[in-house]
Amino acid sequence: MNYVQVEKLGEGTYATVYKGRSRATNEIVALKEIHLDAEEGTPSTAIREISLMKELKHVNIVRLYDVIHTETKLVLIFEYCDRDLKKYMDLNGDRGALDPVTVRSFMYQLLKGTAFCHENRVLHRDLKPQNLLINRKGELKLGDFGLARAFGVPVNTFSNEVVTLWYRAPDVLMGSRTYSTSIDIWSCGCIFAEMISGVPIFRGRDNQDQLLHIMRIVGTPDERTLRKIATEGQIDPANANKQYPRYPKIPFSQVLPKASPQALDLLERLLQFDPSKRITAAEALSHPYFTGSIPFGLPGPVPGSMGPPAYNYPHPHSHQQQQMQHQQQQQQAQAQAHAAYVQAQGGMMHPQHGQTSAFAAQQDPVRLAQAQQAQAQAQAQAQAQAQAQAHAQAQAMAMAQAQAQAQGQGQPMMGYAPPYPQQYATGGR
Amino acid sequence: MSITIYPLASLSQIEKTPSREDGIPPELEEDLRAYGCKLIHEAGILLKQKQVAVATAQILFHRFWYVTSMKQFGIGDIGMGALYLASKLEECPIRMRELINVYDLLLQRASHTTGSTSSAQQYSDFKYVPMSYFGSTFYDLKDALVVAEMQILKRLGFNVHVVLPYGTLVNYLRVLGLTSREDVCTRAWGYLNDALQTPVYALYPVPTIVSAAIMLTTRHLGISLPSSPENRWWELFDAEWEDVWSVCGYIMRLYRERDAEDQKRLWGTAETLNARGRTAADI
Ligand SMILES: Nc1ncnc2c1ncn2[C@@H]1O[C@H](COP(=O)(O)OP(=O)(O)O)[C@@H](O)[C@H]1O
Ligand SMILES: [Mg+2]
Repeated sequence: MNYVQVEKLGEGTYATVYKGRSRATNEIVALKEIHLDAEEGTPSTAIREISLMKELKHVNIVRLYDVIHTETKLVLIFEYCDRDLKKYMDLNGDRGALDPVTVRSFMYQLLKGTAFCHENRVLHRDLKPQNLLINRKGELKLGDFGLARAFGVPVNTFSNEVVTLWYRAPDVLMGSRTYSTSIDIWSCGCIFAEMISGVPIFRGRDNQDQLLHIMRIVGTPDERTLRKIATEGQIDPANANKQYPRYPKIPFSQVLPKASPQALDLLERLLQFDPSKRITAAEALSHPYFTGSIPFGLPGPVPGSMGPPAYNYPHPHSHQQQQMQHQQQQQQAQAQAHAAYVQAQGGMMHPQHGQTSAFAAQQDPVRLAQAQQAQAQAQAQAQAQAQAQAHAQAQAMAMAQAQAQAQGQGQPMMGYAPPYPQQYATGGR
Repeated sequence: MSITIYPLASLSQIEKTPSREDGIPPELEEDLRAYGCKLIHEAGILLKQKQVAVATAQILFHRFWYVTSMKQFGIGDIGMGALYLASKLEECPIRMRELINVYDLLLQRASHTTGSTSSAQQYSDFKYVPMSYFGSTFYDLKDALVVAEMQILKRLGFNVHVVLPYGTLVNYLRVLGLTSREDVCTRAWGYLNDALQTPVYALYPVPTIVSAAIMLTTRHLGISLPSSPENRWWELFDAEWEDVWSVCGYIMRLYRERDAEDQKRLWGTAETLNARGRTAADI
């Protein structure tokens, strides 16, 4: 192999990850080794991860460089990151809790990466701190696409054994089989709360217990909502009529006293029990928590509180541009404070968007160009997605029709039984 | 970029398929592809596998032969590997042992069939001999299956995303105002299914294939659609006339009459190629 193993980085559910060095270039990479099992061939997790990640190129998604296939194992060569978010919180947090500036930066990047997946019609389905990677530049990247899948065609027959329990959406816990992008949004909400407080927000022992943990905080939805979720999620009738204790909602401000009002407002929108009410990743990115001018509800100006990190997305949204005019002076002062802070942090944090593109361009024209490209791509993709959605609806109808046809009159006329070669068209059924 | 883009064979791959380069005549390759797909379909029925997984397997199967010669791998093994892989991709995995048993049965039956003369006799006296539980056949087939799955992944570079045509068909029929014609829907649907036995899903974008199915259907049923130079219905779907026509040709060739000799030759070749592929299989 062209890589030397340096040390073990982590062990996941189906793979061992090592730090590796390229013999040719000395570049440091992460090597994810997956053993091939004679009983099941190539694990579906690996197939999914490779086929999806090959194509997902984004600053906030860990890059898959290469795949090495040997008789006994598959080795996935990834961009190296220093640690996962779980370890990051343990090491850098105050009993796990991160400071508001870091929380906001990470949250923004998490949503960026998630939005990119969703624009490309990929569901991650296993977002949790252990699967988010942080590099020494303070960039957060989505990793471990072992449970991810492409969607687009009716999202119907998915297995509901996805997403680690604590980050699993309530509709999935109830047995929903039609979940979509909202499943990842729930996980983002859980991670957000965890970064603020340092502990996972809902810690159930099993499926049912997890659901109760959620209800004890966000409240038990009324009968109508529960029924709606059951219908929309095509939940098995055996599970659909379960009775739940009626818990009142506890305001998130009580659960997370440290969080700013804007953070709480965003959290509220991410952690909607009803999946159809959950905010999308793209919408969340323009939430006032990221764009607004009010600092974090902490006394005095907070460095870096002005907006999302500019380093990877130097073009602020248009309404941000307007705000910027009003805020320029204030921002300049804060920018200086921030710059000092950035230095003090050893480059962990990023220039804020008040300084805009010029700053980023000076620093790293390549990255700026990449970011611009990425953004143009994202826009094109958003359009494509809108089209695709219209298409998907038609497809859903097509499926329904096909089923109706199949039931109504047995096999389609020619179906799979053309006249040649005849012996295979009959018999054996 | 988008992962929803599905790979199609390149012009050079189409003109010179690896099998043809290896001296396999084009007609024989076409027949073997169709035959391999029929086995996948039969296996899918016996395993009660979902149609989406079966169709996905057939499309992967066709893609594979644009990167590999039929002298190197058998159509039985690759078909089995494709169905196994597609079942994972569609999240309805099947058990290795069941798949292997089903293929063993199908291959035994095919081998029996080509040996007998009348088609009535073909089925009446066929007796399946199950393989012994610990016998080497099972382990040989299992190895072949694991190798086949991995080779498909490897040679396709993990480009295993597949787009099925059914939704597009309904869309187009609606645009053309044909959804109320049940005979049209059913027949066009049938052509799309039959087309899975041909390489077209590895060669043309879905709109072209769907247009071809509509073309064959409306011609067969004597329905006229706007076809004047300034108003051609297929152009509405961004399909080129030559491409649509070519897809029609692939589909119609499936329905050619074959004599018994042809059938025997086909099966004979399939069997030898499969056996040879097994021993030559490299990882
Ligand atoms: N690119 C990487 N850089 C650094 N550490 C990594 C990288 N990828 C994974 N790891 C570490 O290895 C662990 C397991 O990797 P993961 O991809 O999640 O495997 P699994 O699918 O088995 O859970 C992660 O939680 C993380 O700590
Ligand atoms: Mg993991």
